[in-house]
Amino acid sequence: MKIYEREGPLTRELLLTPGGFGLGQVPQQARPDATTTMTCGYCSTGCGLNIHLKQGEAVGLTPATEYPVNLGMACPKGWEALAVLKAADRATTPLLRNERGVLEPVDWPKALTMFVARLRAIQAEYGNDAVAFLSTGQIVTEEMALLGALAKFGMGMVHGDGNTRQCMATAVTAYKQSFGFDAPPYTYADLEESDVLIFVGSNMCIAHPILWERVLRNPHHPQIIVVDPRKTETAMQASDHFAIRPKSDLEFFYGLAHILFEQGWVDREYLAAHATEYEEFAAFVVDYNPQRVAAATGISPERLFELARMIHEGKRVSFWWTMGINQSYEGTRAAQSLINLALMTGNIGRPGTGANSITGQCNAMGSRLFSNTTNLLGGRDFENAAHRTEVAKILGIDERRIPNQNSWAYPEIISGILKGKIKGLWVVATNPAHSWINQNQLKDILGRLEFLVVQDMYHTTETAQLADLVLPAAGWGEKEGTFINSERRFGMVKKVARAPGQALADFSIFKLIADAWGVGEMFRAWDSPESVFQIMKRLSRGTPCDITGIRDYQMLDDRQGMQWPFATGESSAEPHRRLFEDGQFYHPDGRAKFLFESPLPMPEPPTPEFPLILLTGRGTAAQWHTQTRTQKSAVLRKLSPQNAYVELNPADARQLKIAQNEPVIVESQRGSLPARAFVTPAVGVGQVFIPMHYETVNELTDAVFDTYSRQPSYKACAVRVRRTGTTPA
Amino acid sequence: MPALAELEPLQLLDTAAPAGMTLIDRYLLEQQELSAVVRFSQRHEAHELPLQARYYSELLPASPPGPGEQYAFEVDLDSCSGCKACVVACNSLNGLDENETWRDVGLLFGGSDAEPLLQHVTAACHHCLDPACLNVCPVRAYEKDLVTGIVKHLDDQCIGCQYCVLACPYDVPKYNAARGIVRKCDMCSNRLAVGEAPACVQSCPNSAIRITTVSRQAAAENCETGVFLPGAPDPQYTQPTTHYKTNRVFPRNALPADYYSVQPEHAHWPLVAMLVLTQLSVGAFLVELLTQLFFDGPGLHSIRSAHAGGALLFGLVALGASTLHLGRPHLAFRAVLGLTTSWLSREIVAFGAFASLAVLYAGSVWMSDATAPATRSMQTALGTAVVLAGLSGIFCSIMIYHCTRRRLWNGAATTTRFLLTTIVLGLATALFTTAIGAAFSSAAGTAAVASGFAEIVFPGLIVAVACKLAFEASLFIHLRSKQHTPMKRSALLMTGDLATAAKWRIALGVVGGILMPAFWIWQVRQTASASIFSHVLLTGQFAALLAGELLERYLFFTAVVAPRMPGGLRT
Repeated sequence: MKIYEREGPLTRELLLTPGGFGLGQVPQQARPDATTTMTCGYCSTGCGLNIHLKQGEAVGLTPATEYPVNLGMACPKGWEALAVLKAADRATTPLLRNERGVLEPVDWPKALTMFVARLRAIQAEYGNDAVAFLSTGQIVTEEMALLGALAKFGMGMVHGDGNTRQCMATAVTAYKQSFGFDAPPYTYADLEESDVLIFVGSNMCIAHPILWERVLRNPHHPQIIVVDPRKTETAMQASDHFAIRPKSDLEFFYGLAHILFEQGWVDREYLAAHATEYEEFAAFVVDYNPQRVAAATGISPERLFELARMIHEGKRVSFWWTMGINQSYEGTRAAQSLINLALMTGNIGRPGTGANSITGQCNAMGSRLFSNTTNLLGGRDFENAAHRTEVAKILGIDERRIPNQNSWAYPEIISGILKGKIKGLWVVATNPAHSWINQNQLKDILGRLEFLVVQDMYHTTETAQLADLVLPAAGWGEKEGTFINSERRFGMVKKVARAPGQALADFSIFKLIADAWGVGEMFRAWDSPESVFQIMKRLSRGTPCDITGIRDYQMLDDRQGMQWPFATGESSAEPHRRLFEDGQFYHPDGRAKFLFESPLPMPEPPTPEFPLILLTGRGTAAQWHTQTRTQKSAVLRKLSPQNAYVELNPADARQLKIAQNEPVIVESQRGSLPARAFVTPAVGVGQVFIPMHYETVNELTDAVFDTYSRQPSYKACAVRVRRTGTTPA
Repeated sequence: MPALAELEPLQLLDTAAPAGMTLIDRYLLEQQELSAVVRFSQRHEAHELPLQARYYSELLPASPPGPGEQYAFEVDLDSCSGCKACVVACNSLNGLDENETWRDVGLLFGGSDAEPLLQHVTAACHHCLDPACLNVCPVRAYEKDLVTGIVKHLDDQCIGCQYCVLACPYDVPKYNAARGIVRKCDMCSNRLAVGEAPACVQSCPNSAIRITTVSRQAAAENCETGVFLPGAPDPQYTQPTTHYKTNRVFPRNALPADYYSVQPEHAHWPLVAMLVLTQLSVGAFLVELLTQLFFDGPGLHSIRSAHAGGALLFGLVALGASTLHLGRPHLAFRAVLGLTTSWLSREIVAFGAFASLAVLYAGSVWMSDATAPATRSMQTALGTAVVLAGLSGIFCSIMIYHCTRRRLWNGAATTTRFLLTTIVLGLATALFTTAIGAAFSSAAGTAAVASGFAEIVFPGLIVAVACKLAFEASLFIHLRSKQHTPMKRSALLMTGDLATAAKWRIALGVVGGILMPAFWIWQVRQTASASIFSHVLLTGQFAALLAGELLERYLFFTAVVAPRMPGGLRT
C-alpha cells in the first residue's frame, strides 16, 4: 500500500524480453524455446508465419522475416491465426441428431457406425451416386487427396466438389482452355518487377494485403491501374481507376484488344510462334470500337485509348484478377479476355508480366490439383481412359474403381439434392448454408437430405447446425500437411497446438472412415500426410505440376516452400519461378489458345421494381469469408462493423430519402436483409455494395452460374433499398 | 435391415498399435503429440538479433531526441491501405488481453462521384506535449519522459478512477476492468530503448508508420493552426505530436465513417449516484442551515435532527458509491498526490472535509437543541462550514467535467445542472426529513411548524424543478441545428437510443416536482389544513425527484459526445 509505486506486479505483466531466434523483444510470459515456420491457413497468399513454441506448443507467432512470400509481414488474420483455435465453440466430440432433433454428443465408434450405416443404406437404396461430398480449400493437400480417393475409389461416390467452385473455378477453366492446364503462370516477385500492373475486380488492399505490400515494394514506379466498378481501397491507392459498369468487363477488354490490333500494338511474332486462333480473335474484336465500348462500360474512348497506350508502352505489363472476374456468369470468358491481352502483347513468360489469377483460399490451389473432384488426381481427366489406367497403376487399385465420368459441379450437386438424386451429403470444412448463393433456397434444399454429415472445427457454423452428424475436426496448426498458394508454392503446415477434446485431424477421420467402410486396406500406404505427399509426387510425375524433385517435407521446410513444377533432376534454388518462359504451353500443339465470345446480357438486370445492382465482396482484411474463424478473435471482431451495412451512392440515397447511417432493408426477388446505410460516392449511382461476410447477404443473390466453370455469379443481381419501417415503393 | 440405433459400434483394430488399442485410440493419442519441434525446428537456432530490423531500421530516427525534441509517430496516409495489421500486432507483440487494443484504425470518407475518398487512418497515443491524461490524473500515474517525450502510464500507481479516459480527446487510455486499471500505448518504449521498432512500425506491410524526432516547439506551432487531421479533435487542447502526412488534398466533405452514428457512452453508475447524492446532501445541509437561522417553534429540534441525519446519511452513501467507481478503491488515498493539478484530487479532499464536518454538525444537532445562544452560533458556524465545504466539492465536480472539454459538460451548463440539483434535492430531502422528524416528535404544535415549513418550501421546489426541467429540455433546441454538432448528437441520443430514460426523467420530474407539490398546495388552500400532509405524498415526491435526478445524471454520462479520432463504420 505504498503511496507511490512506479513498478510492481501490474507493470511486470507487460514486461518484454529478448525472444531469441531473431525475434526481437517478445512478451516475457510468451518467450519461446524454439520456433518453426509454417504457412498461414487463411488465404492463398500463403504467408510464412514463425510459430513461437514453448515445449512444443505454440505460444505466439510473428510473420517470418525471410519467407519469400510475405517478407516479414502478415495481415490481421495471420497475426491472430492461433487465437481462433481456442474458441469455446470448437467441436470437441462427434454430435448426432437424436429423435428429438437435437444434436447430442456421441463417441467416435458410434459416430463412425452411424456414418457408415446411414450412407451405405442410402447407397443401397438409391445407388452409389446418391451420396456426394463437398470439400474445401481450407484443409491440407494430403487430406484433400485422401478424401477424394476415399470417397470416389473407396466409397463409390461419383459426385464431389469443393467450395473452391465459389472462388476459383473460373480461373481453372480459363487456364485449362487457354493454356491446356490449370497453371497460374506467375510468381509474386512479378508484382515487384512490372512497370504496368492492371488489377481487375481485385481489392487487393483488403483481400490480399500482403500482396499489396509487394506492389508497394516495386522499385520501378509502376503505373497501377484498377478496373473495378467501385472505388475500393486499392482503387484509391492506384495511379488510375477505371470504374466500368458492373459486368461490362468483356466489352471493356475486347475494346482494348480492338485498339491494340488497330494500332498494331501487338506482338505478332510471339503470336505466330506460340498461339492459335488469334486471327479469329482479331476479326472478332473489330466490332468492339471505342464508341460501342464507351456506351457499354461508361469509359470514354479517350480514356480507353489511354489505357491501351499504357499497355503498349509498358515493358513489363501484368494483368491480375480476383473475384470481380471469377464470380460472374461469364467469368471464364472475362478471365480469358485478360489472358488474350497478355498473349497478344507478349506479356507472358517474362519477369513482371502474365495473366495472373490471384486465388482465394489457402489451399484452393491444392484442391485444383489433388482433390479428385473436378480433376482426376494430379490435374487429370476422369473421362480419359489412359489417365484412369495411370492413376490405378500408381495407386495399385482396380481401375474399375475410378469413375469414368466427371463429377457434378457444386451447383449440380445442390440441384441434384433438389431433384432427389442426392440423398446423403458429406460436407468438409466449408459452410454452404452461409456462403452458397440464394441462401433461403439452399437451406430448404439441405433439409431434403436423408443424411447430412458436417466435418468442421466448430459445431456452430450455419451448416453444422443443420447436420445429422457432426464430426469434430482439428484445424490448421493442429495437424500436418502442405498448402499450395497462388503462385504454386507448396508450404508446410505443422502441428503446433493440441486439438480440443476428441477432435481429430481430417486425415485421421478419413482414415477411420476408410477402415469403418471396409476399404482400409486400399489406403494402407496412405498412413501419414507425408506418405501421401510421396504418393502425390508419384501422381504428378510427367504432368505440368510435376513435383517429383521435391524430396520431402524437410526439403520444403528448408527451402521456405517450393513452387511447382519441380521435377526430378531440377536443381534450381531460385525462390521465384514463373511458367512459360520457353513459350511452350500445355496444349498438345504447345500453343496457347485465344478464347472469346460475345457478352451475354446481365441475367437479372435492374428493373423499376428492383432498380439497383448489388455488388458483394470482401469488407475488411480482418474478416474471412463466413467469419467462422475470424469471429472467434476478440481483437479481429473489433476491426470490422459487426452488422451488415450497404454502401449507397449519395444520389440514390437522396432519391430514396435515406440518411447516413439509417437502418434500411435491402431486398431482391429472393430475400431481404436489414442493414445500415453507408452513403458514399465510392459506389456508383445505381449500384450498392454489401460485404459477403454477413450471413444473410446470400439470401439476396441470384443462383446463376458461369457456363463453363459453373462458378456462382455473386456480383450482380437486382435489388431495392428502403428505409426500415417503410413499404416498398 | 436392423434399426440403426441397434447396430453394434464398429471395433476398429489397428495392427500397428499396441495390443487392444483401437485405431481411434491411436489417432486420439497421436493428435495430442506435438511434432513440429522434433521434425522442423532446426532452422531457427541462431539469430539473437532481431531479423525484422532490415525492414524497420529506416523507419526509426538515426539518433535519440536532442534537447527540445521528442519522439513522435509519423503516419504516411498515402501508404496506409487499411489492413489493420498494426492493431493486431500491437496486441500480440505487447501481450495485451484478448480484446485490448491500444491502436485503432478509422476511416475518412466523402468526396464526389468523380473523386471519392476512402482514407484509413491509424492512430494510437499521440504522446501530446500537454497530455490531458497526465494533467488530470489524481495519483500521478502518468509521466512524460523528459528525453523521449513518451507519455507513459504507471500501471501500478493507477487507482482506476478513469478520469484520464474522460479527459483524453483521442480515446487513448483504455480501462481494463479485469485489473481495475487503465493501460495505454507507450510507443513500445522498451523496444525503442534497445533500438527496436514499436510493434505497429514493425508490422505495417506498407511502412506507413514510422518514428521521428520532432522539435517540441515546431509540434506546438503546428497545433496552433487547429489543423491536425479532418474529423480529429482540436489539437490545441493537448498538442498531439503525431504527424499525418499526405500528398492528397482532402475534399472538404471528408468525414469520419462513424460521424453520423451516435452511441451512448458508458453510464458510470457509481458516479451517477455519487454526484446526485453529494449534491443532495449539500443542498439538504444548506436548507437545514437556513431552517436553523429562520425557523423557530415547538418540535424544531426533532425536525432539525431529521434534516441533519438525512443529509448526512445520503452524503455518506454518496462517498461510499464513489469508491465503487474506482478499479482499486483500497488505493484511493493516493489521490492526495494530485492536489496541485487534478480536480479529482481536490474533489476527494473537499468532500472528505465536507463529510467530516457534516458528521460533527449532525452530532451537535442531535445532542443539543441549540436553545443556548452559544450553541446556536457554534452550530451556525459549523453549518456554514459544512455548506461551504460541500459547495467547494460541487465546484470541483463541475471542474472535473468542464476540463474534459466535452460540449455537454461545459462549465456554465454543468454549474447550472449541479446547482439546480443541489437546490431541488436539498428542498425535497428537507421536506421528506421534516415529515419524518415531525412524525417522531412528541412536542405539541410540531405539525404546524412542519406545515409552515412546507408551505414555504413547496412553491420554491416547484420553481426550482421547473427551471431544471426547462434547462434540460433546452438541449432539444439543438435538434434544429443544421449541422451535426456535439449538442445535436446528444439531443439525438436523448430522442433515440436514450429516449426511454429521457421520457422517464421528465415524467418523474414533473410528477415529483410539480404535480405533487401543486396538489399539496391546492389541498391546503381548499381545506385550510395541513392534515393532508401525508407521508405517502412526501415519500412519493421525494422518491420521484431522486429517481428523476439519478436518471438525469445517467443521461448526463450516456448522452455526452466523447471526442475521438476518426472511427470506422459502426453498425
